[in-house]
Amino acid sequence: MNARRVIAVAWKEAREIWRDRLYFGLAFALPVILMIVYCYGLVQDVENAPFAILDHDRSTLSRDYARRFLESRYFDFKGYAADGREAERLLVDARVRMVLVVPPGFERDLREGRPVAVQTIFDGTNTTPIRTLRGYVESIHRALGAELRADRLARTRGLAPERAEVLLQPLRVETRYLYNREVRALWAIAPSMIMFILMMTSPLLTALSIVREKETGAIYNIYSATITRAEYLLGKLLPNSVVSFLNILVLFVLATQWFGAPFEGSFRLFAIASLGFVLCTGCLGLLVSLLAKSQQAALMISVICGVVVALNFSGMTTPPQAMPPSLHATAQLFPAMAFRNVVLGTFLKGLDARLLWKDVAYFLLYAALAFALCATLFRKRTKA
Amino acid sequence: MGAAAVVAEAVRVAGLEKSYRGRPAVRGIDLSVHEGEIYGLIGPDGAGKSTLLKAIAGVLRFDAGEIDVLGTRIDSDRAAERIKPRIGFLPQGLGLSLYPELSIEENIDFFARLRLVGKPELAERKERLLAMTRLAAFRDRPMKHLSGGMKQKLGLICTLIHEPELVILDEPTTGVDPVSRRDFWAILSRLLRERHATAIVSTAYMDEASRFHRLSLVYDGKEVAAGDPERIREKRPGSLVVIDTARQADAVARLRPRFAQVDPQGATVRLFAEGLLPAEAGAAVAAALEGLPATVADAGEADLEDVFVSLLREGAPAPPAAPAPPHTPPARETRFAIEAIDLTRDFGGFRAVDHVSFSVPPGEIFGLLGANGAGKTTVIKMLTGILPPTGGRGQVAGHDMRHAAGAIKRRIGYVSQAFSLYQDLSVVENLRLFAAIYGLSRAEASDREAWALDLGGLRGHERDLAGSLPMGLRQRLALGCALVHAPEVLFLDEPTSGVDPIGRRRFWELLFRLSREDRVAILVTTHYMSEAEQCDRLALLFAGRLVADATPKALKREVAETEGLPVEMHVDRPLDALEALAARGFPEAALFGPHVRVLSKDPDGDMERLPRLLAEAGVTVHLAERRSLSMEDVFVHRVRALEETGGGRGEGA
Repeated sequence: MNARRVIAVAWKEAREIWRDRLYFGLAFALPVILMIVYCYGLVQDVENAPFAILDHDRSTLSRDYARRFLESRYFDFKGYAADGREAERLLVDARVRMVLVVPPGFERDLREGRPVAVQTIFDGTNTTPIRTLRGYVESIHRALGAELRADRLARTRGLAPERAEVLLQPLRVETRYLYNREVRALWAIAPSMIMFILMMTSPLLTALSIVREKETGAIYNIYSATITRAEYLLGKLLPNSVVSFLNILVLFVLATQWFGAPFEGSFRLFAIASLGFVLCTGCLGLLVSLLAKSQQAALMISVICGVVVALNFSGMTTPPQAMPPSLHATAQLFPAMAFRNVVLGTFLKGLDARLLWKDVAYFLLYAALAFALCATLFRKRTKA
Repeated sequence: MGAAAVVAEAVRVAGLEKSYRGRPAVRGIDLSVHEGEIYGLIGPDGAGKSTLLKAIAGVLRFDAGEIDVLGTRIDSDRAAERIKPRIGFLPQGLGLSLYPELSIEENIDFFARLRLVGKPELAERKERLLAMTRLAAFRDRPMKHLSGGMKQKLGLICTLIHEPELVILDEPTTGVDPVSRRDFWAILSRLLRERHATAIVSTAYMDEASRFHRLSLVYDGKEVAAGDPERIREKRPGSLVVIDTARQADAVARLRPRFAQVDPQGATVRLFAEGLLPAEAGAAVAAALEGLPATVADAGEADLEDVFVSLLREGAPAPPAAPAPPHTPPARETRFAIEAIDLTRDFGGFRAVDHVSFSVPPGEIFGLLGANGAGKTTVIKMLTGILPPTGGRGQVAGHDMRHAAGAIKRRIGYVSQAFSLYQDLSVVENLRLFAAIYGLSRAEASDREAWALDLGGLRGHERDLAGSLPMGLRQRLALGCALVHAPEVLFLDEPTSGVDPIGRRRFWELLFRLSREDRVAILVTTHYMSEAEQCDRLALLFAGRLVADATPKALKREVAETEGLPVEMHVDRPLDALEALAARGFPEAALFGPHVRVLSKDPDGDMERLPRLLAEAGVTVHLAERRSLSMEDVFVHRVRALEETGGGRGEGA
């Protein structure tokens, strides 16, 4: 291994990345765009859903009922509809996603203990947030129902309201959410996205930088020179890994500052693990470059494999603990799961090196093995 | 190393075979390159040149045969690595192997670091090479902004920076203008002599054969002939005869049964009389033309291309001339089919085409010559209405190109560099598609389809996929597609690039008939100087400017009158001869392999005088002989004249 030749390749590579505007844009703008698009696109928390109320009762209790929705951060009250036709128009124009129809005699029937149905009309074109919204509506109804029941019990039996509540609900669920106190999906998604995006872009950049030379024929400069296979591949791997590492830093800032995700752990640990991770993804890119002959092929292979691995083998869709053994074993072949573990561990759990050193060691071992594999498979004397 | 008297072999190849996925590329080639010589590989695209060079450079595995490079048998990857410190390899594609974002100097530095050239050596070599190639003033310019000639020279510097003993150059001159090409050969010769290095160079230009000490002609993976150019000529001795006649078609018809290679060319007919000395050939041709108003204008030494074509045909009869397709010569009322007036086109701050004016009457073949990047394609794109001009105007088929692009497109045919065929459609499907695109009725379409099949000699291939056709057929299919709507004007952008000489000749004959029988005006671009003579009239483009516009004959006559005719001398020390000649008033003396060539106004006198002159400089002249002027001579002369008057922008612009 001759360091001068490695530096020569790495230095040339760095200048090309810096000066080629298209490549520079691809290297630095793409991850940021993906982060913004995916974080907003994947979050299934519903907040500020616009809704309207068609109140046929116009009583004290119906206004109290409405207030409970008005105060919730999940709903955004757009006003009362005058009649059914207006309510329908609001839905058709997509100005509201939900209309609550409070029937006449709402207050009277409730006070007298008769069941009341509040019609809840949803805009059903988008199913996922609807399910979430229905959950919110139901829990507000449940709370109101329990209050009314306790209220009636207190009045009829002459008990204190607190006592009546306990009588009605002897067993209660006390929930505490660890690591993500407000159960905001964005907090979990933004850090995971760092892993997801880098699984796509990092192999892509490294693969493209080699395949581009294959396409033009500049790779023959390498084939016909005295530089060894490992020297050339290392010269390609290092600058592209630095670019990927810078990407992680940018995405880190985006996740914490823009999306407000909390970062509880040690930044130094996160940075070291990230360096290990980008070496792994860079080596995956080297592997892709061995397979692909054209830049289009390299793009397809990198992106498709990156997405498949990040979705299926990282624990994002199936948590690692719930994976069947075969899937869990396959997931070990990719650095995605370990890096998601590091990301979530440092962002949300505040884990320290004692709990994460295995992942860091895994990255280094993985990178060394993958690099050795590439250097063995790379040919300076080709078949075609 | 032994004594210098023994000719040592730098490269020896025996029985080399190589297939790509079952498709043979090289089918048993033998080769022997002596130390210190420039060895040429000449052949069309797909002949196997690149495969052979890559195998020698140790960057490609092969199926069978033996390769020895600088005394090492290349039989494993490990053995290939052992020779790499001692070789330099420049892959195919002008500037493609360089790094566009890096400057000239950074490119050189990268190659030097890759080869572990020490700092002091690098500094010294870099200065010397930059000075010799006249690139020193542009050392900070990014490679992507260099002209073709500069890219070529930079590629050469980068290949030579570690001072290899063997240099392998794959088509270094393709797409480069003739002036830069002359420069290139001189620089290569000088560098090789300084280091006593050997070079193997491939080219698709037959007329570069004289640049090599020895060469191999390759075709379809096999060697057709090898040796020095004279030796190869001796394999098919014969003479070239040029006939002036107003009745070309009749002359061709009379001569075809007697001579294998008869080709109409501009206002003349050109033929290769195999086995005859020039005087005999002239007499034989005159006898054959008895009674026709025709005169033998010239009878002399044959071109290597004639020899090559003759060797390729080897016994096989000349392909029959295509039957005359049925046609009604349409009346062409416009005076000029194409007229360009002060056409100018800027791309950002770069002027690609600079006040270009010319006109083409119906029935004329007009050739636009120039290197890659000279502006040929841009001119065509403006005239066909694809690209709006920055300035100037033009009309095509009677329509103003600025306002009537639609009307123009219905009346022209266009064959682009890449032959825009649909590879996965059959021959007939391609023709039908183009007929449908041009809105032909069903009856018209089937008429024209039959016409195009006859014209291109495509009968028997109707159901073949376009992508599976050999280059020559594919090119004729592209021509048929461009002609399916019977256009008045035909634009051809480098239609013969990479096609073998036989295919090229057949193609040109089609163009000739189209222009004469159907009165189609044809504008054709090429960077083959040898093809230029096939045109009725020629325009030379250099750096976006028109530097000449006349018939090939008139262009040559002008050079002959102002500069003289070429005299070639076989000398023992060509580089010293070159310097001696430059010092004695022949600054344009040029190197052709082991020979030097000068333009002389008094050839007979100079053939006596120059050997004496050179003897004073210690150079022995073995033989001095006359040569005929080539279009390359004309081009070089025109560009130099332009540079001297300060009108040329040169490479620095």
